[in-house]
Amino acid sequence: MIGIIGSSAIILAFLSAVAATIFYYLAAANKYHNAENVANFFYMLKGSMVLFASGLLLYILLTNQFQYYYVFNYTSLDLQTRYLIAAFYSGQEGSFLLWILCGFLVGLGILKYTEDTYRSPVMFFMTLTQAFLLSMIVGISLYFFDLGASPFRTLFSEMSDAPVFRSNPDFIPADGSGLNDLLRSPWIVIHPPIIFIGFAMMTVPFAFALASLWKRKYHEWIYPALPWTLGANLALLTAIFLAGYWAYETLSFGGYWAWDPVENASLVPWIFGMAGIHTMLIQKKSTIAHKGSIIFAVLAYATIIYQTFLTRSGVLGEASVHSFVDLGLYNQLLLFVLTITALGAGLILYRYKELPKPQKEAALLSREFLMFSGAFILFMTGFVIILGTSSPILGRLFVANPTPPDPVFYNQWTLPFAILIAVFTVLTQYIWWKKQDAESLSSELISPTFAASIVTVVTIMLADIDNLWYMVYLFAAYFAVIGNSIIMVRLIARKPKLIGGTVTHIGLGVLFLGFLGAAYDRPLLDQETRNYNRAVLAGQVMDSDGFPVHQTIEFIELERGKPKLLDNRYMVTYLDAEITNHNRPGEQRYKIHFENINNPDDQFYLYPIVYPMLANSAPGAIEWTVEPEIRTGLTRDLYMYVAGSALVDQEIERMNRETAQQGMQTITGMGADQALAAEEQNTVEIRRGSEITFGDYTVHFVNFQNVAETEIEDETILAVRASIQITHNDTEVSEVVNPLFVIFDSDEGPMAYSPPSSISEFEASVRFTEVNPNSETITLEFDGITGEVTRDWILLAAEHKPFISVVWLGTFLLMFGFSISIFRRWQDQKKREAKAKAEKRKIEEVHLEEEKELEDIIA
Amino acid sequence: MKPRLIVGIVFMVLFTSLVMYNFSQSISSYVDFEQASTLDGNRIHVIGEWVRDEPSSFSRETMTFSFTMKDESGNVRQVRYAGPKPNNFEQADQLVVIGSMRNNVFHSSDMLIKCPSKYNDASGMEFTAVE
Repeated sequence: MIGIIGSSAIILAFLSAVAATIFYYLAAANKYHNAENVANFFYMLKGSMVLFASGLLLYILLTNQFQYYYVFNYTSLDLQTRYLIAAFYSGQEGSFLLWILCGFLVGLGILKYTEDTYRSPVMFFMTLTQAFLLSMIVGISLYFFDLGASPFRTLFSEMSDAPVFRSNPDFIPADGSGLNDLLRSPWIVIHPPIIFIGFAMMTVPFAFALASLWKRKYHEWIYPALPWTLGANLALLTAIFLAGYWAYETLSFGGYWAWDPVENASLVPWIFGMAGIHTMLIQKKSTIAHKGSIIFAVLAYATIIYQTFLTRSGVLGEASVHSFVDLGLYNQLLLFVLTITALGAGLILYRYKELPKPQKEAALLSREFLMFSGAFILFMTGFVIILGTSSPILGRLFVANPTPPDPVFYNQWTLPFAILIAVFTVLTQYIWWKKQDAESLSSELISPTFAASIVTVVTIMLADIDNLWYMVYLFAAYFAVIGNSIIMVRLIARKPKLIGGTVTHIGLGVLFLGFLGAAYDRPLLDQETRNYNRAVLAGQVMDSDGFPVHQTIEFIELERGKPKLLDNRYMVTYLDAEITNHNRPGEQRYKIHFENINNPDDQFYLYPIVYPMLANSAPGAIEWTVEPEIRTGLTRDLYMYVAGSALVDQEIERMNRETAQQGMQTITGMGADQALAAEEQNTVEIRRGSEITFGDYTVHFVNFQNVAETEIEDETILAVRASIQITHNDTEVSEVVNPLFVIFDSDEGPMAYSPPSSISEFEASVRFTEVNPNSETITLEFDGITGEVTRDWILLAAEHKPFISVVWLGTFLLMFGFSISIFRRWQDQKKREAKAKAEKRKIEEVHLEEEKELEDIIA
Repeated sequence: MKPRLIVGIVFMVLFTSLVMYNFSQSISSYVDFEQASTLDGNRIHVIGEWVRDEPSSFSRETMTFSFTMKDESGNVRQVRYAGPKPNNFEQADQLVVIGSMRNNVFHSSDMLIKCPSKYNDASGMEFTAVE
C-alpha cells in the first residue's frame, strides 16, 4: 500500500516537474501573463510530492519493511538508526531522490533571491534537470520501454521468478541483506548528502548561464551565480574530503585518492567550477571573460551529468570492473547527457557572435589575462582527467576492450598543471591588488621567491628528494603558500573581508605540498626483506621456474614475542591477539609494540583490527576485512594493518567446520582410518622424569604416584597415578595433573580403566592409557591438545605516510577560504540588488511626481 | 590573425595530440590467459573468476597468494599474486589480475576486485585496488 502511494507521489512529482518546466518556459518567453504563478504552483506541488515520497521511503526503511526491494537490499534488523537513515541513499534510486530533494531546496532559494529578469528562464532550466532526474525513479512501464526504477518497488516484482515467490507470492523475508560493514562509518554516511547539495548547487550557474544567453543579458548573471558556484565548490570539496578520509582510514589500499572514476566524477566538476569562478571574477572587470564564464558554467554541470552517466549506466561496468548496479537507465541517462550538452553548446553557438568580446587584447601582464590563463590551465587539467575516466569509450579509438589508464597517466599530466596553477595564483594575486609592470612585479616577487627557494632546498635535503619534477613542484607549492601569505597579511591590515581568495590559494599550496607526500610512502620492512627487494629490483631474484621475480614484498611476518627491527629504527613485537567482539561479532584486536631503538622514550602500542564481515558474507565464504590503525603525526602518519594471521586462519577453519557440521548433521562418527590418525596425533609415550615437546606444549612426566587405599576397590589388581606437568611453550602457563590408571578383575578377565583428567588451563583433558613397568614409560592420550605445532604469526603491512596531516590542513584552509568568499559575494550581490531596487524606486518616484505635476497642471 | 591566437591554436593542437598519444600508451586491452602467454610486458590485464573448488593458499616462504582463475574464454590457470589474500577476495564476483604469464602460471602484481556493491552510488569502494 505504502509502495503504491510512494510510487504515485513520484509519478505526480514527475508530471508536475514537466508541467512546471513548460510553464516556466512560457513565462520566460512572455507568452502568458500568469504563466509564472502557474509554474510556481507546479513547482511547489512537485516539491511537496518529493518531500512526501522521501518521508515514506524513510518510514519503510525505519520500520524494516523487507517486502520492499530497496529496504531488503540495503538494510537489516541489526542496523543502528543512523545507518537506517543512511540507507535512504544507499542505492541508485534513493540517491537520485536525495539529489532531487536538494535540487528542489536550491530552487526555492532561486525563487526567493533571484531578480525578475532571470527568474523564469533560470527556473526553466532548473526544473528541466529536475524532470530528467525524476524520470530516473518513476518506475512505470510503457509499451516499449521502462521509465526509471522506483525505490518503492517490491521484492516480489524484482524477483518474481525466485522459487520462494513461486510457492508463496506473499513471502516477506525476516531480515534484510544489510549494509556493508565498510560503509558503517559516520564519514561515509554524511558524504552523499553533501555531494548532492554540491551537484544541486552546480545546476545554478548552468541555469544562469543559459538564461543569460536566452535573455541576451550577458553580464549581470554572474552576481547571483557566483555565491552559488562557490557554495557548490565548497560542498564538493567537503564531500571529496570526507570520502578521501574514509577511504584512508577504512580501506586497506592505503590512500585517500586512487584516480577512481567515481572520485574523478566529483573532482572534474570541482575543477571546472573553479575555472568558472575565476572567469566570473574577471567578468566584473573586463569583457575578456564573458564567453569563458558561460562555457565553464555549462561544462561544470555537463560533466556532473556526463560522469553520472559513466558511473550509473553500466558503461564503466562493462569494460572495466567498475560495478554499479545497472538499473537499465542507460538510454535515459544518455538522453539526459545529450540534452544538457546540446542545450549548452547550441545556445552558446547560437549567440556566439553577439557575446561581448574585449575591445583590445589584454596585456600579457594584466590581471585579466593572467587569471584567464589560470582558468584555462584548470580547464586543461579537467580535460585530461575526463579523458582518462572515459577510457572505456574513448580508449576504443586505440585498442579493443580498453583498460583504464595506468594511474601514472593522471599523475604525469596533473603534476605540471599543478606547478603552473601554483605559480599563477601568486602572479595573479600580486597584480590583482595593484597595477604592476614587469619590473615592479619582479622586484616584489624577489622575497617570496627567495623564501620559497630556501624552504625548498631544506625540504629536498631533509626528505632526500631526487626527482627534478618533484623539486620544481615543491618549489611551486611553497611559492604559492608564501606569496599568497604575504598578500594575505597585507590585506588583513587593510580589508580583512577580502582575504577569501588568498586563504583559498594558500590552502591549495598547502594541499599541493601534502600531495607530494604520497610519492614518498614507504613500507616499514626489516633488513632481510629490504635486501630481498633490492635484489628483486636488480633482477637477481629468480622463482622456482627460473624466471625473474618482479614483485617486491611490502609486508613482513612477525611471530608472537619475536621482535623484528623495522626501518632500522623500530623494534616491533607482536604481543598478542584477542577476539574482542567489540564493534561486531568476531572482531579481533592485535597488540603490537613499537620501540624506537634510538630513543627509548619513544615507544607505543598499536592495535590494528581484523573482523569477519558476517553481515555480507555467505556462510562458508566469510569475507574478512581489516580496520587500519593510524598513528597520526605532524609530518607523517604511521599506517598499518594486519594482512593475515594464524588467528584468522584458525577462525576460518573453525567457521568452515561449523558450517560443514550444520550441513552434515546426519553423518556421525569418523572412519576407522581417520580415528586412527587422530589417535596417533594425540598420543605420546614418555619415560619417567623426562620431558618432551608435544605441539605447542612441553609435557613433563614427573613421577608415579601411589593411589590412596580408600580409592581402591576390591577387584583392583593395579592402580597408579602419573604426575604430569604440561606447559604452554609461548605463554609458559603450566598445570599439573594426575591421571589415574587402573587394572581390575572382571568376569571377562583383567580390564584397564583410564578416566580422563581435565586440564582446565587449556580446556583439554588427558588419559593415562598404558604403562610399561620395565622401561618406566607410560602412554598418554590427550584430547584438546594435539602434536601439531601452531605458531602464532601475523603479516603486518606498515607504512610511513608523509604529509597526510598537511593534506587535511590544506583542505581545511580551502574550505575556510571558500566560506569567506561565499559570505563576501553574497553580501556583494545583496548590496547590488538593494542599490538596483533603490534606483528603480527613485525612477518610479520621479515618474509619480511627474504624473502628479501633470495632474496639477491639468487641474 | 592575431599572433596570440595563432600561438594559442598551435599550443592547443600540440597539447591535444600529446595528451591523446600519451593516453593511448597508458591504456591496454583486457585479454585472456592464452593471449597473455604470447604477450610481453608486466602490466597485462586478464579478467576472470576465482575457481572456488580449487585450493588456494598463501605461501609464507614466497609471500605469495596462489589461487585458480577462469578467464572469460574459459581458460583455467593458476595465479600467483604477490601479497596476502586481499580483503574482499571471497566476495568478488569478478577479478582483474595484472601481471604476466610465465610457464602457464600468471604472476600478478596488482589485482582489482569487483564486488557486488551494496552502496553503489556514493563511494569508490566497489573497485578497490589492492597493491
